[in-house]
Amino acid sequence: MTAADLAATAALLVLTLGSCAVIVVDLVVRPAARPLASLGALVGLAAAATAAIVGTGAAGFSGAVIRDPASVYFTVLIGAVTAAALLVSAETLERDALPAGEYVSLVLFSAAGGALMVSAGDLLVLFLGLELLSLPLYVLTAMLRAKQHGDEGALKYFLLGAAASAVLLYGIALLYAATGTLRLDALGRATVNPLYLAGIALVLGGLAFKAALVPFHAWAPDAYESAPTPVTAQMAVVAKVAAFVALLRLVAATGRAPVPRVDWEVALAMFAAATLVVATFSALGQRSVKRLLAYSSIAHAGYLAIAIAATGATSGPAAAFYLAVYAGLTFGAFAILALLANDDPTLADLAGLWQRRPLLVVLLGVFLFGLTGLPPTAGFLAKVYVFEAALRAQLLWLVVLGVLASVVSAAYYLRVLFACLAPGEGAPRAEPRARVGTAVVVVTAILVVIVGVVPQPLLDAAGMVRF
Amino acid sequence: MSSLFSFVGASDLVVVPLIAAAACALLPLGGLARWVAVASGIIGAGLAIALAAVSPPVPGGLHGEDQLVWAPSLGAGYHVGADGFGLALLALGGVLFAIGALASGTIRGRGYFALWCALQAAVAGVFVAQDLLLFFVFWEAMLLPLALLLWQWGGEDRRTATLRFLLYTMSGSALLLAGILALGVGARTFDIVALQDHPLGAGTQVGLALLFLAAFAVKLPLFPFHAWLPRIYVAAPIPVALVLSGIVAKTAAYGIIRLCVGLFPLGMELLAPGLVALAVVGTLYAAFVATQQDDTRRLIAYSSLSHLNLIGLGIFAGTAAGAQGALVASVSHGLIVAALFLLAGMLAARTGGFALGHDRGLGATAPVLAACFTLAIAGAIGVPGTIGFAGEFLVLAATFARYPVAGALATTVVVVAAVYGLGLLRRTFAGPPVRRVADLSWRERGLVIPLLVLIVVLGIAPGLVSDLVPGGGGPVPAAEMR
Repeated sequence: MTAADLAATAALLVLTLGSCAVIVVDLVVRPAARPLASLGALVGLAAAATAAIVGTGAAGFSGAVIRDPASVYFTVLIGAVTAAALLVSAETLERDALPAGEYVSLVLFSAAGGALMVSAGDLLVLFLGLELLSLPLYVLTAMLRAKQHGDEGALKYFLLGAAASAVLLYGIALLYAATGTLRLDALGRATVNPLYLAGIALVLGGLAFKAALVPFHAWAPDAYESAPTPVTAQMAVVAKVAAFVALLRLVAATGRAPVPRVDWEVALAMFAAATLVVATFSALGQRSVKRLLAYSSIAHAGYLAIAIAATGATSGPAAAFYLAVYAGLTFGAFAILALLANDDPTLADLAGLWQRRPLLVVLLGVFLFGLTGLPPTAGFLAKVYVFEAALRAQLLWLVVLGVLASVVSAAYYLRVLFACLAPGEGAPRAEPRARVGTAVVVVTAILVVIVGVVPQPLLDAAGMVRF
Repeated sequence: MSSLFSFVGASDLVVVPLIAAAACALLPLGGLARWVAVASGIIGAGLAIALAAVSPPVPGGLHGEDQLVWAPSLGAGYHVGADGFGLALLALGGVLFAIGALASGTIRGRGYFALWCALQAAVAGVFVAQDLLLFFVFWEAMLLPLALLLWQWGGEDRRTATLRFLLYTMSGSALLLAGILALGVGARTFDIVALQDHPLGAGTQVGLALLFLAAFAVKLPLFPFHAWLPRIYVAAPIPVALVLSGIVAKTAAYGIIRLCVGLFPLGMELLAPGLVALAVVGTLYAAFVATQQDDTRRLIAYSSLSHLNLIGLGIFAGTAAGAQGALVASVSHGLIVAALFLLAGMLAARTGGFALGHDRGLGATAPVLAACFTLAIAGAIGVPGTIGFAGEFLVLAATFARYPVAGALATTVVVVAAVYGLGLLRRTFAGPPVRRVADLSWRERGLVIPLLVLIVVLGIAPGLVSDLVPGGGGPVPAAEMR
């Protein structure tokens, strides 16, 4: 193992070793859930800090693990979101009587999988990362067995996920057969033949499943609803970030080749259009807030697909900026649900929340406005950046579709907000006072607004993300 | 004068109400919150007048200009400044927000006044933004406080009315955003001043003008995009209806003249015949519908719709005189509709509802109320000596100069306005008294009389307003002036 190998996998090592350490501590010391979750959050932050400090440089393992601005940017993002999700979990772990040690270590393992995926320079490493990301999430989704549909959602997620992994693996095998290499950068230099195209299509399908793009999205609402809410937040962010980064790398690698090359624009534009339309209209009919947010996160995958379909110089930065903003907004919205006494509420259950916890409603308002794409939150600029990239690629029809989808999305986001403002019936329920969790959500909301008002630092960071 | 106020910048117009909003939201002000909101409105009006007194460094330039780097990667900057049209509306807005806050006496709660001040800040932002993305930010920012004010404090029908209003306006703004992005990406800047020199083909101008107009036609609202309006005016609390119609609708008039005419003069010139026709139809249609109403608020709503379409007509006429007329008509409509809504609220407080025709002869026992109402209605139907006359005359004269048929048709609105205006007075104040009601209290007089004084003073000297924008007098299309 050379110094370059070590540097390329430093953040990964922090996450995996930290995860193992959590299990050991849990076995030996048997601490309460709260300190364990805090320890896990510390590991997540340490991973983010490690990635930032080690920075960019030569790839490790002869190009299999990349260390470019993109991998650093997204590893920091994954580490930070994981830490935040674990901090929010501290209170819910006690409430739901979940096994804290396993929970925390599984969350960290899935983060490690995400971090491996965003630095993958090789299709096999990509697959490894995907599995490391997914397997812990299957377990975490099934953890709340007491819940009515806990098993159903988890089983659906597992079966469909396993099938998607198989599809991805088969695609990788076909690509290897066609080109004789697994390295992403070498794929772009290969000649395009039917075998190659079939491989690309299968890999695209596998990744689209993880990214929850229509028509591979059916698992997402069930899985999101079944999982413990902080895990939903983690899953909605980390899995999506990892899948989209892998997609961006694949598109960049194969799209750069001399003619004839793979024409991604049409395929991704179709994915984007279908996702936007289906997810937006499905969300309108939801009663469960968690399912509604699940469809919202599917719709946002559609906006991200627009950014990737643009395939220009601004495509990478626009997607990177959008992913970071989406991470904050989606994490924040799910985290607020996690802080409620009933963490899987229907819209009607939210009535009276304004009287009980006005702060949470204000924060939820910030996130929902951001998800709608309204200023002054960062959600607005994120959409603007994506649409700009698409307009540079002459995708005006997709921009108009995206803009109209965000109008319709306002209808369901506002329903959630207005549901909170409705007067509650009967005696007010006591909401748990989760101080740490609330503090994390407050910080997230402030960041979302700050990035909306002073976007340039994050824009600069995202601007370095080129594939 | 100019050195005295040179420290005032256009940013202050947004910052002051924002500070007031934060103070209302965060400090335990109690009943003081209302006075913070009032002060914020008065300061806003004062700042706008002070800015108008400072001549811009370049003749014809922007007042109180300020520029900062915001998001260069996106091509967007923080660029604010106000032109004459914007300043007049900013001053009007300050007055209306102050009076509306005063009239919100029965509505308690810091939340209400925090949203109130936030709305003022967003409206001011629309008038000072000189960058398209910044403009859009403020444009959308108006929605949140407005929607919450309507949703939380509105009347019976507020839920449906608010959702319909949101759906309409957001569909319009979505197209506006698409237009802004298409323009900005092509020109590589979002700066409004810089974009004025960006050459665009006639076809592109028409397309972009239509995208921009989508948002403004809904917000104004221009016929036939007005379906949300009557419901929301009836559902809104009186002070919110006052600012919604008096000043928020004017952001659309400003948007059309500053962005559509300013950036796409050729496109607007090509679209003008159709738009003029729509505006004429809207003006007359709304006035006719107003004659059929049995509810004071609905009558005011349709009268207001008629006047707003008339403002549109002035702008679409495409001449400097038309723009001047539109400005005077905007200020006039703002003052008059505010007075009418306040008086309707006071009337309803006495008779127990907004239905017309139940209580006649109120003039006998409430002479001051009757006198104030008569003066406000005189403004609405454009009696000479009120600013209503000045606005209507300028717009109709400018329209007639370029589109004689449209001008002649639109002039008949004066007759229809007299029918609904005098009908309202007759059905309320004339005749033998049915019951006794209290006359206006001193507090109520304090709310209405400043507006009526402005209606008369500016009616005698409309130049105070109209001189803020360059006039040409003649029928010179803006497209040819450049």
